[in-house]
Amino acid sequence: MTRALEVDSHDTSTAHTDAARTDDGGEQLFSFQELARLDEALTMSSRETGLRFTLYIGDLGTPTRVRAEELHSMSGRNPAEAVLIAVSPGQRVVEVVTGSAAARRLPDRACALAVLSMTGSFASGDLVGGVINGLRQLSDQAGHPSGLRRH
Amino acid sequence: MNVAETILVFAGAPLAVIAVLALLIFLPAARNRRPRYKPGQPWEHAPVWYEPHPEHAPESGHGETLAIGSSMYGERHGEDASGHGSTGHGSAGHGSAAHGATSVGATAPRPVTAGPLGGARGTW
Repeated sequence: MTRALEVDSHDTSTAHTDAARTDDGGEQLFSFQELARLDEALTMSSRETGLRFTLYIGDLGTPTRVRAEELHSMSGRNPAEAVLIAVSPGQRVVEVVTGSAAARRLPDRACALAVLSMTGSFASGDLVGGVINGLRQLSDQAGHPSGLRRH
Repeated sequence: MNVAETILVFAGAPLAVIAVLALLIFLPAARNRRPRYKPGQPWEHAPVWYEPHPEHAPESGHGETLAIGSSMYGERHGEDASGHGSTGHGSAGHGSAAHGATSVGATAPRPVTAGPLGGARGTW
């Protein structure tokens, strides 16, 4: 007895792993180069400052600030030291949320400056470049605490 | 050198060079064409959340890590991920877009209050 060939891709996910990447289509949000730049910017600014920078890209709903703060409260074990950059390209909104400890080193004025440089890049369609510039400004402003120096 | 040869050498050859260069320049860009973001367009991608690598990440190939390079696939860790000194909330949401391994789902567990929040907001 013959059966039709199965042409559908198999769901390869298990309880511990995601489906294989080949399963989820070729449509990628960013190229690998852009991802690598984002990855390095996030990691290096977090290591440099001791704060935890995370980046959310997606819809924020209305009001955007409430959703961004809700996301910030879920952004790790210690949200007081977390900084969330939430970008909603569809709504053309970027929100920077700093925890209470992070806000001492990143005053709202510094965040506003970083947001300003980000929106400049976003308006010209450069999402990744804007985020990286914003991260650079934020981490420059937050500085490198002496407690993190190892030598 | 008759007329046909003259045209071939002085018009055909430069044109051929130009055509080859144009192919080399524009073909790669045309092949991997990804939709670029333009302001004002709707955003129809699933939300992604990128986080930094943990500072004391296990080396690639050893242990559990979400680092790029340790695995080609965005691995979804179960309840035990939080105890491994890695990213804390590696249990990504359902159908989390695995763009690079540092992305985590937007449905992380248990919100924690972080005191008075600061920050800024901008539109473009």
